[in-house]
Amino acid sequence: MFRDLDTRRYGKPSWTRPKGTGVAILAVMLALPAAPSSAVAAPSLEYAIKAAYLYKLAAFVNWPPSSFESASSPLRICVIGDDPFKTVLDQAVNGVSVAGRPVQISRYDAAQPNMACQIAYVAGSPAQSRADALKALKGAPVLTVTDQGRGADPAGEEGVVNFVLTDNRVRFDIDQHQAVEDHLALSGKLLSLAVEVRR
Amino acid sequence: MTSGRPSPLLDFIPFQRGWEPIRVVAFASAVLLVAAGLGLTGYSAQLERTDRAAQAEAQARILAASVSGDLAFDDEHGARDYLNALLVNPAIEAAAVYDSGGRLFAQSTRPDQTAPAEGLTQRTVFDGAHLIVAEPVAQSGVALGTVYLRTAVEPAGRRLARYAGVALLAALAALVIFVLTAAHGALSRANQSLEDRAADLAAANEALTREMEERAKAEEALRQGQKMEALGKLTGGVAHDFNNLLMVASGGLEMLDRTENPERRRKLRDGIREAVDRGARLTRQLLAFSRRSPLNAVAVDLGQRLDAIRMLLDQSLREDISVRIVRPPDLWPVEIDPGEFDVALLNIAVNARDAMPRGGEIRITARNLPAVEEDGLSGDFVELTVTDQGEGIAPEVVAQVFEPFFTTKAVGQGTGLGLSQVYGFVRSSGGRASIASELGKGATVTLLFPRAVGLQPRAETATARPIQPLPEGKDRRILLVDDDDSVATAVGAMLEELGYRVVRAIDAESALTRLQQDRGFDIVLSDMVMPGEMGGIDLAREIARRHKGLPVVLSTGYSDAAAIALRERVRLLAKPYRLETLAMELDAAVAENDQKRDGSE
Repeated sequence: MFRDLDTRRYGKPSWTRPKGTGVAILAVMLALPAAPSSAVAAPSLEYAIKAAYLYKLAAFVNWPPSSFESASSPLRICVIGDDPFKTVLDQAVNGVSVAGRPVQISRYDAAQPNMACQIAYVAGSPAQSRADALKALKGAPVLTVTDQGRGADPAGEEGVVNFVLTDNRVRFDIDQHQAVEDHLALSGKLLSLAVEVRR
Repeated sequence: MTSGRPSPLLDFIPFQRGWEPIRVVAFASAVLLVAAGLGLTGYSAQLERTDRAAQAEAQARILAASVSGDLAFDDEHGARDYLNALLVNPAIEAAAVYDSGGRLFAQSTRPDQTAPAEGLTQRTVFDGAHLIVAEPVAQSGVALGTVYLRTAVEPAGRRLARYAGVALLAALAALVIFVLTAAHGALSRANQSLEDRAADLAAANEALTREMEERAKAEEALRQGQKMEALGKLTGGVAHDFNNLLMVASGGLEMLDRTENPERRRKLRDGIREAVDRGARLTRQLLAFSRRSPLNAVAVDLGQRLDAIRMLLDQSLREDISVRIVRPPDLWPVEIDPGEFDVALLNIAVNARDAMPRGGEIRITARNLPAVEEDGLSGDFVELTVTDQGEGIAPEVVAQVFEPFFTTKAVGQGTGLGLSQVYGFVRSSGGRASIASELGKGATVTLLFPRAVGLQPRAETATARPIQPLPEGKDRRILLVDDDDSVATAVGAMLEELGYRVVRAIDAESALTRLQQDRGFDIVLSDMVMPGEMGGIDLAREIARRHKGLPVVLSTGYSDAAAIALRERVRLLAKPYRLETLAMELDAAVAENDQKRDGSE
């Protein structure tokens, strides 16, 4: 079993499908205290889960110290483009702190190269496509998150973490290569949970 | 066991008196050891629980860290893999993960075991045989839920086995202590019995010593009794003899008044004289014989002694028994108590007499035996044999005749102590006594006495020395002190005959008064035993103190008093004394005194 874990963590480079099947099914019902107990049935529930995942992702990522103004600076989650979460994201992070930092939500229409964000949920908007926004954030120590799994984006741009729906459950793939480019250290636990990891 | 035991509980350890403290200490040690064993067991059990708790907590923390990702991103299978992995540890009964809302997320349990439906807050509790640990799951400070672990603390069998092991060790140690203390007790008991035996031996020795002392006293008393018995036997004969002597004296005196024939008067005087001499010798022997004194060994010429006690024997034996003494003139002196010797010889003679109911001869032979080397004796000895012509002694009783109270005589005729006195006396004198006999051929008692080396026997008696003419009184003034008028008259006449001028005092006090008033006396002659505070010895001392240079001569009829006088270095005249003895003693006293005075001037 631990050998399986090792294999998942230190699996072959490039896009690899983990051998283990332990992560195949995610129990969506566990995502939020208020979440319904069944699988994803409505967009609002899906995004409630994704909202919770957003701040939980922060717990498994290490940013370079320079990305924070100070030791007590908040962890900023930016929603760039059309906001699919509405209030559930604000509700989800209410009172939550990650590594001692309060979590703050900011919303932007477009991405800027030097945005003070640690996590950027890139949805795209009429003003700036998702691909452009991702391009704008490349190289910056920002964990980019999208709703588009690998190959889903026509322009081929992807975030570091991309939510996918598999068997009606919210899961994600990870572009480890991009994470390294962006000076982000992703926890092995997180990698092991990814549907796919691009090395 | 002992009285005053501390506790009947301890009786199984055998101990002697005096070992109570050790027994108590041993028991306390054993109890302490068992208590320490139990305490140690409890402590190790406590340590074990603490360790177990720490272990379980660590496992719970590892689980919490491992499942944080699975819990955060709802990977129930991943979490269950971790939980299943935990169950490899046989102690773990149930493991579960709960989300931040407390809902069961994943669980893995042994058959028949379940995890609680709701998550628990952080804690570590022992619940009977279970240890329950709940740990929060958090990642970077984000609370994700809790994990739950329930482990069996320790299988009861194993715990019991371990306790039993410790208890067994403690019991073994206690047993060792008991065995050692018991061994110690046995050792001390052995020592005690050894000491007891030594004490018994000492007590036995003491008893023996005491017995010996008592026996010595008893023997002394018996010897004295024997002496008195012999004296009693003598008494009849002595009285008879004295009457004869008195008859000779009184008859002779009467005849002196009735005859003028000088030849006849001389014969009468000689007869009286002889009777008086015999009487004097007889009383002296009797006094010596009856004197109560311990064995007082002095150098004695046996030959002279034999001659001296011949009359004693004559008095004790019948007329149909004759005594013959054979002795060389150069017999060596021996160191013996003369009184005891007399009694011993008398005892042998009496036995010989009784063995010869029809009369016969007792032959006493003395001779020197140079360089004897036999039966533990060595050196020069003087042998004395007493042989009778009696019935002899049966061979089977010969060996017994020296034993106390052995007698062949009828009850009331003898004590059986006679020959035992002989034996005891000879042995204590360093010699040997033996008896040889054949039935019908008489018996011979042989006594061996060691030769006295370097001692000269003193003259037995100051017998009359034929010195003529008598030393004159030369008109000296003499103070005669005597309470007895007749003695004073007789002695006064003797003194005047010798040429002394006599003044008489009736006691010591008047004598001193007289001497105080009249300093013209040349010599004092005093009786030793007188009424009043002072006796002759006291008077002599007082005169020596007040009138230095005035010679004093004492006279007495008691042998005990004579010994005192000799000790006081006072000249002594033994009553009765003859004229020449008196003349010489007085003259010698004056001469000695003059010599002393001349020497001092």
